[in-house]
Amino acid sequence: MRSMQYWRATFLSVALFLAFLLLWHAATRPDTGGAAVDPAYAALVGNAAASGSKTPFPGPAEVGEKLWQHVKDPFYDRGPNDKGIGVQLAYSVARVLTGFGLAALVAIPLGFLIGMSKTVYRAFDPFIQVLKPISPLAWMPLALYTIKDADTSAIFVIFICSLWPMLVNTAFGVGAVRQDWLNVARTLEVSRLRTALQVILPAAAPTIMTGMRISVGIAWLVIVAAEMLIGGTGIGYFVWNEWNNLSIANIICAIFFIGLIGMLLDTLLARAARLVSYRE
Amino acid sequence: MSLFSNPFDANSRLACGCGRHASQAEHERAAQAATPSATDNAVEQAVMRALFPQDALRRRFLRAVGSSTAMAAIASIFPLAAAREAFAQSTGPLEKQKLKVGFIPITCATPIIMAHPMGFYAKQGLDVEVVKTAGWALIRDKAMSGEYDAAHMLSPMPLAISMGVGASRAVPWTMPAVENINGQAITLSMKHKDRRDPKDWKGFKFAVPFDYSMHNYLLRYYLAEHGLDPDTDVQIRSVPPPEMVANLRADNIDGFLAPDPVNQRAVYDGVGFIHTLSKAIWDGHPCCAFSASKEFVTTMPNTYQALLKSIIEATAYARDPAHRKEIATAIAAPNYLNQPVTVVEQVLTGTYADGLGKVLTDPNRIDFDPMPWQSFAVWILTQMKRWGQIKGDVDYQKVAADVFLATDAVRLMREAGLTPPAETNKTFSIMGKPFDPTQPEAYLAGFKIRRT
Amino acid sequence: MSHAFLQVQGLGKRYPGRNGQPQPPVFENIDFDIEQGQFVCVIGHSGCGKTTILNVLAGIDDTNEGVVIMDGRQISGPSLERGVVFQAHALLPWLTALQNVEFGVRSRWPAYTRDQVREHSMRYLDMVGLAHAAAKKPSELSGGMKQRVGIARAFAIQPKMLLLDEPFGALDALTRGTIQDELRSIVQQTRQTVFMITHDVDEAILLSDRILLMSAGPYARIAESVSVDLPRDRTRASLHHEPRYYEIRNHLVDFLVDKASHKE
Repeated sequence: MRSMQYWRATFLSVALFLAFLLLWHAATRPDTGGAAVDPAYAALVGNAAASGSKTPFPGPAEVGEKLWQHVKDPFYDRGPNDKGIGVQLAYSVARVLTGFGLAALVAIPLGFLIGMSKTVYRAFDPFIQVLKPISPLAWMPLALYTIKDADTSAIFVIFICSLWPMLVNTAFGVGAVRQDWLNVARTLEVSRLRTALQVILPAAAPTIMTGMRISVGIAWLVIVAAEMLIGGTGIGYFVWNEWNNLSIANIICAIFFIGLIGMLLDTLLARAARLVSYRE
Repeated sequence: MSLFSNPFDANSRLACGCGRHASQAEHERAAQAATPSATDNAVEQAVMRALFPQDALRRRFLRAVGSSTAMAAIASIFPLAAAREAFAQSTGPLEKQKLKVGFIPITCATPIIMAHPMGFYAKQGLDVEVVKTAGWALIRDKAMSGEYDAAHMLSPMPLAISMGVGASRAVPWTMPAVENINGQAITLSMKHKDRRDPKDWKGFKFAVPFDYSMHNYLLRYYLAEHGLDPDTDVQIRSVPPPEMVANLRADNIDGFLAPDPVNQRAVYDGVGFIHTLSKAIWDGHPCCAFSASKEFVTTMPNTYQALLKSIIEATAYARDPAHRKEIATAIAAPNYLNQPVTVVEQVLTGTYADGLGKVLTDPNRIDFDPMPWQSFAVWILTQMKRWGQIKGDVDYQKVAADVFLATDAVRLMREAGLTPPAETNKTFSIMGKPFDPTQPEAYLAGFKIRRT
Repeated sequence: MSHAFLQVQGLGKRYPGRNGQPQPPVFENIDFDIEQGQFVCVIGHSGCGKTTILNVLAGIDDTNEGVVIMDGRQISGPSLERGVVFQAHALLPWLTALQNVEFGVRSRWPAYTRDQVREHSMRYLDMVGLAHAAAKKPSELSGGMKQRVGIARAFAIQPKMLLLDEPFGALDALTRGTIQDELRSIVQQTRQTVFMITHDVDEAILLSDRILLMSAGPYARIAESVSVDLPRDRTRASLHHEPRYYEIRNHLVDFLVDKASHKE
């Protein structure tokens, strides 16, 4: 039996959404230009230009229709430059998971080492601080220039951008393990390796998972931007392709899917984080 | 003058002035419809040029003896059939069948794009994947790295790459064929519909697709001819074509010189109007190119030839106005240009809405002729020097010859043991000013507004 | 002097001062012995270094001077032969009570099978009366229960010596009483050698055979060693009826009030 509060919150959400739709619809009603044009001309131009105005921002009905079209047939493949939205999203997610996975493989062990030794931490710190704030779009040309292959470059850019939150969080989590627990391991003559795996890792796990959650969010953000630059396949490419066609409705659909997938990725990791959390 | 015109026609000019007139073109197309294939004519034309470097002489000869006699006479001293056959068929097995060709989704790439759905690649035994690319810089990088075997490029780009300008290193690049001629336009924002005199354009912001592009050079030429200095009186910036209409709509720019279908799309969306077609600035100007690295050309000659043949045939097909509508439908699909069919149709057929309520007709709004005239290259080089993109002395003829490959017929002729023609140049004039490719420095010196 | 099981000789600890100025030592010349099977308590005010001494015995801290010899060998570093019950229970919060004990058992006998480990651990949990809470996580246990798990873990590895650092300081009086009884009965059963730090005088008298009195720092030292010669079968309930109880108690309290607070 769900609580009253849950239903109230749901109701409020739905009401907000409907209000937003209403506002959107009102704001995008086409204004009549007034200039009459001859029918031969009108046949050659879009509806708006035929009445002397500019093509307007699409309304919710138009976007809804486009959305339905995409959802109806998400996996079609009509050639290298025209694939269904499901296929494009799959490409993007695959790239994200690859880059993110590689970053995790590097960040967590490295973060471990850094967290366990103050000297190592101080040695690495300046590099981390300088590289951390660099935007992915700045890495892109460098990657394309050296790596040359566009796909690998995109994965590299995701790697280099999602590395830092995991690295920093792991180092912090490892360094902040309670001395008491480490003492327990010491007095029980637990080997360094076993201590690392059975005491430090579970102790730092919630912090590490938080880092991973942040990283996956960044990775998803980056891939869309990267794909817009390199083209080929992926949701970012889809956005760029629709931009070519000035199909704002499709772009809004894409934005919706981007948000959806981003949310899914975050939820997955949040679930995983719950598994390793503990109360002191 | 097109690669496909009949060289045995005394009335056709093989080396005429500023290009075809409508009636001449009509005549040639009619002639072409009744004569053997495009590639055959190309061979014969090359032969005629070799034998009669001066066009006037050729015409007098033909008028004197009549075309059939001429044909027989020539055939007796030069194995035309052999040359025709040699060019028309592959000289050997294909080194590589699966190829990747990159393109930018604009109508300039029509031959490259249409060859895919309409089977021109398949006819030569090639399995070509045409890959839509996100921008010129990217297409250049992918072509240089070898990910693309050949690519759609802007005509100045092969020159720039060969000279190492605007790229990290110089790589020998070739341009075996011009994709299209004409096909651009200057489009202005709707709010300037009463400000069409260029003298009023001081302070305007213009966009062009790329620094090393015919668009940039044409726009600058146009502005300079009207007394505006393109670097100080106006702003010219590089904007990717898809973003041009959006920028125009947002009032970030006042106008652009862009490849179609961007211009027509601006009209379609009620955002801008077409001020002038690029054809009016220089009828017959080259625009985009089909290009390949010199390495590809030399290491995989059979594949290269097959590819070139499919492009030439596609180009010939596209020249015929009767085919334009069909092509528009084929290439407007999301896989290729991803535009409404009517927009592409208006560009290709030349019957279009101009944005100010009128329907105009100009069948040569865009045309297709693959001959990479070396004089084009020389002109581009003079403009690059004019605006300070290249500095120092340039060996115009050498660079032009290295990059803008003369037709394969010339190469084949050399193999057949004959001296190739010295002339692969022609003179033309732009906005009334004649250009002599043998006097590039003098031409350059004749401009009042320039950087060097 | 016969070879005692544990010999502490001349321990001294000095912390480095700021700017390199020499600081007076916290404690120095700490000497005492512990026989096998003895229960020794240390009483003294905070800051005299009791925990440091215990940490040294545990092997997780060291001193500037002195040496500790157990069973004929010098101590260097922590060992399973010396089990520790920490002041804050130090249970690993992501493991259940049983798993915490098993963690110790597995460290001691890595060759044990899973069932052996389990059975052994359950035995010790049962000994502290927590068999029913085996599957609970530390956050679900009360303070007293957590401390008992800590004790079970320390006993389960069957160390030669047990070190307890104020184990019942954080518990309420009632719980403390119960656990004291439990500890006393376990120690009697196992004849465990124990070294314990405590503040509670009554607790010290109840549990230990000998009480070491430490003076306050700096320059803290073992001021006195009091023998608790009360009957072995004394209980909490009966303790205050013992004739010598108050004599010993007063002596200890006097010490804490005057000597421990004076610097000598």
